Amino acid sequence: MKKTALMITMSAFFGLVYLLAGNITLEAAKPAKSKEAAAPRQSCVTCHPDFAPVLPKGHPPAAGKDIGACTTCHKPDVSGKAAANAFSARLHRAHEGKTDCVLCHTWVPGKSFGLLGQKLTWGKPSKEEMALLKQVSGTWATSTYMDAGHGKKNVTCMGCHGKALPAEGDSVENDRCLECHGPLEKLQAKTAPKDLPDRNPHKSHLGDIGCTVCHKGHKESAVYCLQCHPNFQMKLK
Amino acid sequence: MKKRERKEETGNDSKAIEATSSLSSVSRRSVLKGAIGLGVLASTGGLAMNLASPGSAGAAVRQLPKKWDEVIDVVIVGSGFAGLAAAAEAAGQGAKVVILEKMPTYGGNSIINGGAWNSWDDKYHLRKKLNLGDDSWELFKQDTLKGGDFYNYPELVEVMVKNAPDATNLLMDDGVKVRDTLPRMGGHSAYRTYMAVEGVGRGITEPIKRIAEKRGARIRLGTQVSWIWRKDADSPVLGVEVTKEKKKSNIRIKRALVLASGGFSRDVKMRMTFNPSLVPEYTCTNQPGATGEMIRYAQAIGAEAIQLEFIQLYPCAEPETGILDTPAVYPYTGTGYGLIYVNKAGKRFVSELERRDVVSNAQIKSGAKPTYSIFSEQIIQKLAVPKEEIEKGMAKGRIWKTDTIGELAGKLGIPADALQETIKRHNKFIEDGKDLDFNKPITKNMLPLVNGPFYAVAQWPAIHHCCGGLRINTSAQVIDIWGKPIHRLYAAGEVCGGVQGSNRLGGNATTDCVVFGRIAGTNAGKEKPLA
Repeated sequence: MKKTALMITMSAFFGLVYLLAGNITLEAAKPAKSKEAAAPRQSCVTCHPDFAPVLPKGHPPAAGKDIGACTTCHKPDVSGKAAANAFSARLHRAHEGKTDCVLCHTWVPGKSFGLLGQKLTWGKPSKEEMALLKQVSGTWATSTYMDAGHGKKNVTCMGCHGKALPAEGDSVENDRCLECHGPLEKLQAKTAPKDLPDRNPHKSHLGDIGCTVCHKGHKESAVYCLQCHPNFQMKLK
Repeated sequence: MKKRERKEETGNDSKAIEATSSLSSVSRRSVLKGAIGLGVLASTGGLAMNLASPGSAGAAVRQLPKKWDEVIDVVIVGSGFAGLAAAAEAAGQGAKVVILEKMPTYGGNSIINGGAWNSWDDKYHLRKKLNLGDDSWELFKQDTLKGGDFYNYPELVEVMVKNAPDATNLLMDDGVKVRDTLPRMGGHSAYRTYMAVEGVGRGITEPIKRIAEKRGARIRLGTQVSWIWRKDADSPVLGVEVTKEKKKSNIRIKRALVLASGGFSRDVKMRMTFNPSLVPEYTCTNQPGATGEMIRYAQAIGAEAIQLEFIQLYPCAEPETGILDTPAVYPYTGTGYGLIYVNKAGKRFVSELERRDVVSNAQIKSGAKPTYSIFSEQIIQKLAVPKEEIEKGMAKGRIWKTDTIGELAGKLGIPADALQETIKRHNKFIEDGKDLDFNKPITKNMLPLVNGPFYAVAQWPAIHHCCGGLRINTSAQVIDIWGKPIHRLYAAGEVCGGVQGSNRLGGNATTDCVVFGRIAGTNAGKEKPLA
């Protein structure tokens, strides 16, 4: 209720602003969707007429209007390796919530998802899947969950999820986590309590359990052990 | 507030009216459709109630899925002993098998259980080897029926006990390693409990899982069944609706659905519905997923559920959290070798060879929480418990060890003279072959507590096992409220009722799960695939 009232107030206000501005037709004051469709396609240079201020020190000058300015040198990675990708991560983080995905990406809903000027595809997200991807990339950039920790360390979607874009309900296999956090024996040694070595969260009596049982990417993580052993002193870092 | 949509299905109504010519068919066909009742017979009014879950989309009449997201031969719900055994057998029949497990880890209660099961023999004849007397399937059956106050369905018990040696042999063939011991536990009149070397159910689940997966069965974790599809009261089970994260999809089942989803000990509301004395303050030995919704979904498509009020307490759980950890197993397996239970006053209060319900009630009435098991190094050796296991238990403060009884009493905070007197008296009972206090059946395998070191473990009852559940027949088919099998629907393990009666004997759950899991899986895999 509150939200709706607020929205009505806001649209009334903006409507008024547009009207007062005089050079905008009534139609343009309609919901953003149609406005966006009517607007000319944006590109990098809309905001960055000169790339120099956003490039790292010592970076050679970049020329071009779109992502092609970068991809000539920074080749897009389709290998799906479990590794950090500083270029991809920084670019995404800097633009998170500020620009639309399709400024750089090509997307035909349900058919393909690639990069402007490149012959490659990371999957074929539908409209619903894309909405989820946008939401998740938001938490990846800014949340207090584990995804943001990975974001800060330059690990993007495929760093954990592999070649294809993740779909709803996707999980991450232990092997991928262990690429960076392993080997398992080392991890186990690190978390073995000195007094009670078999109370080790990485050596569960439940056998080979998934890392994601406790460590959640895009929501609050929780120590699974505590569901049955509430007295255990265990905390997620 | 969701609006409930009611769809007019005049076709169904008229069919139901036609069926009034046969009384049995009207009752079977129409109650589930919601067509029975005066309103319909008078052919006024719309549809009557049916059992679709309130609040779900189209609750008045759930429409069958228009299209299925995938097709699977045999779907098994739950990945404990029963589900894994069923999966191994069904996959062995060449069926494409998928186990749906709602929890993020596999194994349910089975992977955390005590790793013990009962059989009256095996191909290596362990009981004979250990010189522990006689046993037979008849005796095993009699004990199980008596322990269940004869509420058990005798034909189901007979299937369990007769197939126990076969199940035991198969487990050993599959790679389950057993300890060189065969305890006698409460309610049993013979030494017949096999123990996995790991001292925990994982030693049994892992080998069966390996076999099942080798034969092609797959486990899907975090995948919950949220509905069972059946067209009407004559229809076979057609499929299931599953929910993963928040996304729903529908699986068409070509051969059969096997419910192996366990009990409802962790659902306070459900257990109190059937036994109001099991208040929330009770702790519980179960994993958090033991919440019984599959029983309700099965009831909603016409399955009969029986004896749901018989919910058992485990007398030896860890007193504070209710978990059944490794040290919580000794108080149960040591009884046949002369381990005793004492209360805070240092006195015995029950025959240690009594059934779980009797011991639990005696503990609660014993005056103070907790009670203790007292045993000796000799008994530990008889149980073939590895030394490290004891050391770990001591490090966690679960096991006390001292050289003398007096010191032990000091550690437990109970009167030393009383404890010494109790042990002296019990030693005399063993010597004389007669328990004058609680009439425990003394055997020559019981050891007096004379030589140290001595040990103690604290124990208290916790909610443990749902003896009641879905009604099945000897083929593990689920029976409907009219007494007929529901086609292509099987169930095995704790989700079923009738095997354990009012009170389950220790070690009988695993045997029940493996025996009926195998039967359910074999029969499910043999079903002729639906086109």
